[in-house]
Amino acid sequence: MNHLLFAMTAALVTLGASMTAAADHSIKHATLYKNPSCDCCEEYAGYLRKSGYEVDVVPTHDLDRIKREHGVPEALAGCHTTLVGGYVVEGHVPLKTLNRLLAEKPRITGISLPGMPQGSPGMSGQKSEPFKIYEISKRTPAGVCNRVTD
Amino acid sequence: MQFQATSATFSPSRRRILSAGAFGALAAAAGQGVFAAQGAVPPRQLTARRGAVQLVPLPNPPTAIWGYDASVPGPELRLRQGERLRVMVENLLDEETTVHWHGIRLPNAMDGVPHLTQKPIAANGGKFLYEFDVPDAGTYWYHPHLRSHEQVERGLYGALIVEEPEPPEVDRDIVWMLDDWRLNRDAAIRDGFGNFMDISHAGRIGNTVTVNGRIAETFKVRAGERIRLRLINAANARIFGLEFAGHQPRIIALDGQPIAAHAPDNGRIVLGPAMRADLIIDMTGKPGQHYQVTDTFYPRLKYRLLDLDYAVEPLRDKPMETEVRLPANPLVEPDIAAAKRHEVLFSGGMMGNMRGMSRGMAWAINGVSQSEHVHEPLLVLGRNSSNILRLVNNTAWHHPIHLHGHSFRVISRNGQPTRHREWLDTVLVAPREITEIAFVADNPGDWMFHCHILEHQAAGMMSSIRVA
Repeated sequence: MNHLLFAMTAALVTLGASMTAAADHSIKHATLYKNPSCDCCEEYAGYLRKSGYEVDVVPTHDLDRIKREHGVPEALAGCHTTLVGGYVVEGHVPLKTLNRLLAEKPRITGISLPGMPQGSPGMSGQKSEPFKIYEISKRTPAGVCNRVTD
Repeated sequence: MQFQATSATFSPSRRRILSAGAFGALAAAAGQGVFAAQGAVPPRQLTARRGAVQLVPLPNPPTAIWGYDASVPGPELRLRQGERLRVMVENLLDEETTVHWHGIRLPNAMDGVPHLTQKPIAANGGKFLYEFDVPDAGTYWYHPHLRSHEQVERGLYGALIVEEPEPPEVDRDIVWMLDDWRLNRDAAIRDGFGNFMDISHAGRIGNTVTVNGRIAETFKVRAGERIRLRLINAANARIFGLEFAGHQPRIIALDGQPIAAHAPDNGRIVLGPAMRADLIIDMTGKPGQHYQVTDTFYPRLKYRLLDLDYAVEPLRDKPMETEVRLPANPLVEPDIAAAKRHEVLFSGGMMGNMRGMSRGMAWAINGVSQSEHVHEPLLVLGRNSSNILRLVNNTAWHHPIHLHGHSFRVISRNGQPTRHREWLDTVLVAPREITEIAFVADNPGDWMFHCHILEHQAAGMMSSIRVA
């Protein structure tokens, strides 16, 4: 395959694969894919780092592909995509829920806080109501989700 | 200045016609000018249709595209300043379309905006004759203005080059139409046009960058050669920042309009979607060597666009030394002291306030999210009045703001006067930046005024300005 075709994505795929492997050994390692121009995602990475996570931030124009390849339906797409502990975590999910996911290890694909709500970690503004965090699972069709609140 | 849609000002002795299958120069050489003036030469045909193009090299499969004459880019239309463009567009797509002639000053009825300036060209065989004189020399382009976030993205675009009466002396006059594509691994264009992620962030930015419809790899040059390179950004959303290692390109025109020859800031030519730059590049490298052209705009996502590949044999021992100075186009200078001032606020997007936006909308101009081409104008300007628009980008994102039917001077950025007071038709306004533009509203009609990141346009960042 030509080196320029998918040149940007190929590099990311390689990087992503190695990070996933690393994650098997260290659950505290996260890879966060984000739009290169988006600052909120950097804020979220900082939030995770403060909480003891090691975070690799990977800017990419191909978030759409990364989300698809990790089983995130469009209805649950968040601003950025984090791979951690074998799960995909969409958007600005609070630490409490993330830690619970990694501790309980449910057999799901991941979790999502879609819609980038005000007051969530990395976002500006005040939290006005409980966040609706959704389960991403192969067993549930896109758009039909179990709901957790935080 | 007024632009005549009719041939009332037509002067057969001085004007030639862009005609069937032949560019202006050829038509003149064949002595067709007089016949053209009498309307005997049929217009050039341009057909919007499906096709397949080898965007990525073999053994990858070709990519199914929509293109003018089934090619990407569409045919390069080239004519001389003051000539008349006559193009019969046939639409063989399964959906309506129009053609907008980006940047060239023309009569409103020829501007190609659906419902506002013309009925859409019907699907499966509709036709429309575009016919107008080109007042300004320079680098322009054409593309649809209907569902453009998908139609342009699938490949409908081409270059419109208007030559000076006496073009500057160069060895080659080259066009690079830059574009990017979001391809699947089978080289097919990925669907998902207008998804919320794209419309609320930076737009649909692709994973494969092409020059003139293919992955370029190398561009062959010879030592001592002087090239006029016309860059056109035809991408929906990608901003390019090109650097030519080992070379000193000079910008001689922006958006078609001449500017004093100068080196780009920081050695990088930045082009937002729809913007153009004419460069003079003297090939000062060594015979047999390669020099990279890189795109460094997005932090940490730098990549090599192609290599300048020097032949072993030089063209001449020393590069040409004459400075290129293009003659000014007949634009009317705005009267800054007497100009009326207007405030235009751009808001919305991720990291901005999207509350109150209706479904599918993410952006607003002066608080209004507009996605229909026909609507109440944002501004009504008196004919021949001078105006200063203060463009306030209250978002976290870049916006290339395009005004139809006019060129404008960029007079300040964040309160600082601009060095070149450049004439543009599409100005890239950085996040949180305030940019002032000035122009004379001398072309009557309703003119679109919108962001040329086509996903932003489709999601509310669109308006119009009426010149009464």
